[in-house]
This record gives sequence, C-alpha cells and structure tokens, in this order.
Amino acid sequence: MLPLKIAWRFLRKSPAQTLLIIAGIAVGIAVQVFIGSLITSLQGSLVEKTIGSSPHITLADPTDGQPVVYSAFMQRVLAGTKGVSAIVPVRELNVLYSNGTDKVPLTLTGGEAGKLNLIYRLSQRTVEGVSTLKQGEIVIGTDLAKKYLLIPGDKMLLNSGSGAPVSLLITGIVDLGSSAANLRTAFVGPDLPRAQLGFRADQYSAIQVQLTDPFGSTPIATAWRGQFPGVKVSDWQVDNKDLLQALSSQSLSSYMIQVFVLVAVALGIASTLAISAVQKVKQIGILKALGMADGDTGAIFVWQSVIMGVSGTALGVLTGFGLIAGFTFGTAKSGAGFPITPQPGFIAISVAVGILVALLSAIIPTRNTARLDPIEVIQNG
Amino acid sequence: MADALVAAAGLGKVYGTDIATRALEEVSFEIGAGEFVAIVGRSGSGKSTLLNLLGLLDTPSEGTLHLRGTESNSLDKRGRAKLRNELLGFVFQYHHLLPEFSVRENILMPYLISGGPVDEAIGARVDETLRVLGLDGLGAKNANDLSGGQKQRVAIGRALMNRPAIVLADEPTGNLDTENTEAVYSLFRTINEEWGTTFLIVTHDQDIASMTDRILELRDGKLVQDVRNAYAGAITR
Repeated sequence: MLPLKIAWRFLRKSPAQTLLIIAGIAVGIAVQVFIGSLITSLQGSLVEKTIGSSPHITLADPTDGQPVVYSAFMQRVLAGTKGVSAIVPVRELNVLYSNGTDKVPLTLTGGEAGKLNLIYRLSQRTVEGVSTLKQGEIVIGTDLAKKYLLIPGDKMLLNSGSGAPVSLLITGIVDLGSSAANLRTAFVGPDLPRAQLGFRADQYSAIQVQLTDPFGSTPIATAWRGQFPGVKVSDWQVDNKDLLQALSSQSLSSYMIQVFVLVAVALGIASTLAISAVQKVKQIGILKALGMADGDTGAIFVWQSVIMGVSGTALGVLTGFGLIAGFTFGTAKSGAGFPITPQPGFIAISVAVGILVALLSAIIPTRNTARLDPIEVIQNG
Repeated sequence: MADALVAAAGLGKVYGTDIATRALEEVSFEIGAGEFVAIVGRSGSGKSTLLNLLGLLDTPSEGTLHLRGTESNSLDKRGRAKLRNELLGFVFQYHHLLPEFSVRENILMPYLISGGPVDEAIGARVDETLRVLGLDGLGAKNANDLSGGQKQRVAIGRALMNRPAIVLADEPTGNLDTENTEAVYSLFRTINEEWGTTFLIVTHDQDIASMTDRILELRDGKLVQDVRNAYAGAITR
C-alpha cells in the first residue's frame, strides 16, 4: 500500500489544492443529486397530478352512451394481466343539479366505494364528511360545494332527464385536485346510475384500470385491443401526448446539464492531477530511481484520484441532500412547489459516475509518470 | 575476475538517431566486492553516462554489463527496477529527499518499495543507520528541517537501507563544504570497511579520488586509465 501512503502524503502536503478539488467534485455531485432528484420528483409529481387519480387504461363502447359488457372473459383477462393494480367498473350518468335558480350539469360516477377508492382515493381526498356512497348518498367536489354553499347533510335534487328527479344526501366533500373536476364530478353508489341508464348487471359505462407502472400502459392496451374486438381501449399515454413530450424534453435538458457538470468535474480533477504530477515530478523520479516500478508510481495518481473522488462524491451527496432539504423546507414554508424525494438509484449512479470520472482523470498523469526518465530529474537537481 | 560484482565489457552509449552523439565507447572493467573506486574525468567525459548504465537507469547501446552475474540487457524495465532496489544504493549530488516524509521514512523508503514488512528488525536497522550517520534523535523530523550536510547523510542512509552490495555516488559532496565533504568520505570509508559495501564514486575532484583504492579515468567517453591507489589508505586515515 506504499502508493496509497505516498498519494495521501502528496495530498496532505498541498491541503488548499486538495480541498479545492474536493470542493469542485462535491459541487458537481451535489448539483447532480439535486437536479436529478428535482427533475425526477417534478416529473413524478406532474404524472401523479395528471393520472394519479384517473384510469391509465379505459375500456368502453366505441359509441358514446352505449354500455360495455363486463363479461366473465374480460374479468379473467384483466385480472390475469401482469401489472394491473386496480380494476374499477363504473357507470357514468349526466344529470342537472337544480338549486332553484341555477341549473348545473354534473357527471355522476357510480361504483362501489371500495373500488372507486382504488383509483379516485375518495377517503384520502375527503375534506369534509365521509365518502361511504350508500344508496341515496352523494359525494361532491369542493368547488361545487363552495359555489352553492353545500355542506354534508344537505340534500341535492338531480334530474337525469329520463325519469323523475332524485334527491340525494350529501355525505362528503372531496378535493379532486382540479377545479373543473371539483365543479362537475360527483360520486354515487352503483345502483342509481344503473337504474337511470337501464343497464343490465354486467353492463357499465366503462371499465377503468390502473397499473403499477403507468408508463407500461401502451403494450397492455394494444394486447387488450386484440382480445376485445368491438371495445374501445383508451391509453392515457396516447391521450396525454403533449405532457409526455414535455416530460421527455425536460429529461433531455436535465441530462444535458448533468453531462456538462460531469465534464466540468472531470476537467477539474484531470487538470489538478496533471499539475500535481508536474509538481511531484522530482519525487516520482527519485522513487523510480530507488526501484519503484512504473505501475506503482502510476498507482500514486490513481490513489490520489480515488481519495479526492470518494471524498468529493461523499461530500457532494451530503450537500445534495442538504440542498433537497433546504428546497423542500423553503417551498413547504411558502406553500408552493412539491416535495423532492431523493432518488436512491440516481444517487448511486451519480456516486459511481463521480468516482469513475475521478479515476479516468488519473489516466494522463499516470501515462506521463510512466514515461518519466529518472535521469532527467537526478541530473537537473 | 570470475566472481566480479560488476563486469562491463565493451560498453558503449550513443544518444540520438538522426544526429548521433557518442557518450561512451568500448568501456571494459571489472569490480570486485568491497572495492572503493573513483570514476574521474572532466565534464562531458562520460562519467555520469557510465554511472547511469551501472545504476540500470539507462541501457547500453553496445556491449554488456553484468551485475552480480545478471546481464542487464536480459531484464525488462520492471526487472531493472527490482534489481536496482535490491542491489544498488544511490547518492546523488543533490540529496533528493522526499519533503512529504520524515527522516526515518526517507531512510526506510527503498525497503518500503521492496515490499517487505516493517518489523522490529527493520526498525532496529533504521536506528543503527541513524546512529552510524550521526543522526540520532532526528528520525521524526521532516527531511526539510535539516541542514545541507544532514540531508546528504539522510540520503546516504537511504542508499544503505537495503544493505546494497554496491553504492553509486554521483558527485556526492558537490554541494557540501569542506568539513561535510570530509565527513561524508569518512562515512563512506567506514561503511566500506565495516559492511563490505562496494563504492563507485563519480567525481571530478582529484583530492577526493586520491582517497579511494582504485581510480577509473574517462576521457571523451573512453576508459583511459584504471589504476590502483597504493596511498589511499594512508591518506584517508
């Protein structure tokens, strides 16, 4: 371990230079960790906001208003598909809410509370009352409640246009995360829409499906289209092309930033090591004259890289966590933004890349050292 | 001399290819174990070139060099480095100590390069070397904190650490005053007599050469004189 010992002494002999390059690596890695986690979390937050509480794949009849038959075959195929996390058959009924002066169009999504919860997370989103969805109960959005001063316990008169108006008891108010949804969407049990629409027990407006990996929706949707001819299979990725394009562009710009940061870090380490090799040329020449092999003199610079790379990377990861904590604290205080979750996989890649870049930076001084002739050092004093 | 420690036969060295410069030509000699030899000559006579060849820091263009029976041309770069570490000790005009290490560590360096374990026996060897060199109590000091004479003695200690068969010294007192010069030669002679170490000392100073047992004189790259010095012992003592 003599090369390691010598590398350590060389670094200690020039503490300011050593600390500067460690700080340089740390800043690079901290930016990597922070930007990487920020972009990933931002994208995760956008995706979650966009599709977290909506189906990833929807199976419906191609003609609007016509029911899709939720056959035993379809139930088997959907339940047997790998990656499916929730299957929610719903019946949607368009009604008019009348409060005496105003008439407001509403879409009632009917289903069992337990199943609707899987996608719409009603119990989590309930800001007032409860979302039990028993017969005769309704859960409405916050904007509708606010606009018409509705609270749990109030009754709502709804007209579907295909029968007598029905009166429902408001039991809960939910925040669906979007003003439009909060104004126009309401939830009821499964029976009311079925009766109003005249559907059979196996007929639904749509079968809504959520997946463990939303980005895996396209091949599943394609397979289902083949298995259910005559059924319209909608894929969220096709319906949100613009969003995905934006996310993809954002990822690309993030990668560009990270690549340039890494290049800057690599150039920083490489130049410092090159300077160190020049500064220590006498010592290296003497060590070679004393019988140290080229491999060992080269290893001195590799160890210097490792020491600076590992210390700088470790400091960078800590600084990155600090930046994330600071950002999260700052945005939480102001009420804006979103929480950044440190990405372990991304941090592991940053650490590996940081150390690898440091090691690659040792190539030039190692090669120069191998070429160094000890005679030049000895004769030039 | 069948059991010669150093055997040079027809050694030659030419630098450059487009414009060839001959630095050494047809140099042949043998040196036995325990000899105390001076290599003299004017500046540019080929002394340092010969020392670089003997020290395995350079390779001959012509001829052969055997060190303790090993032909230098048969070794690759790594093999030459290993033999240099085991068989040879160097003392240069400038001390060339490593400022990042203590006196003790500088002396220990050739042994550390050989990869041996630093046990009690090695610690005792360093202590003995420090004592012989008159550097008792200075082992923990940084090499930079010593006087010029002390630094050169540390460099001698470093050359002796692996108990080499041969010490090659290139103008070892060139940067020292008269008092330190005499002290260094006295030290060389003591080690030569007590440990049986062979010394090859390159110098342009005839007074110093006169203190050795044998003088090899180079002129224009050729060995022009190889004489025994009958008075050397009387002068040094």
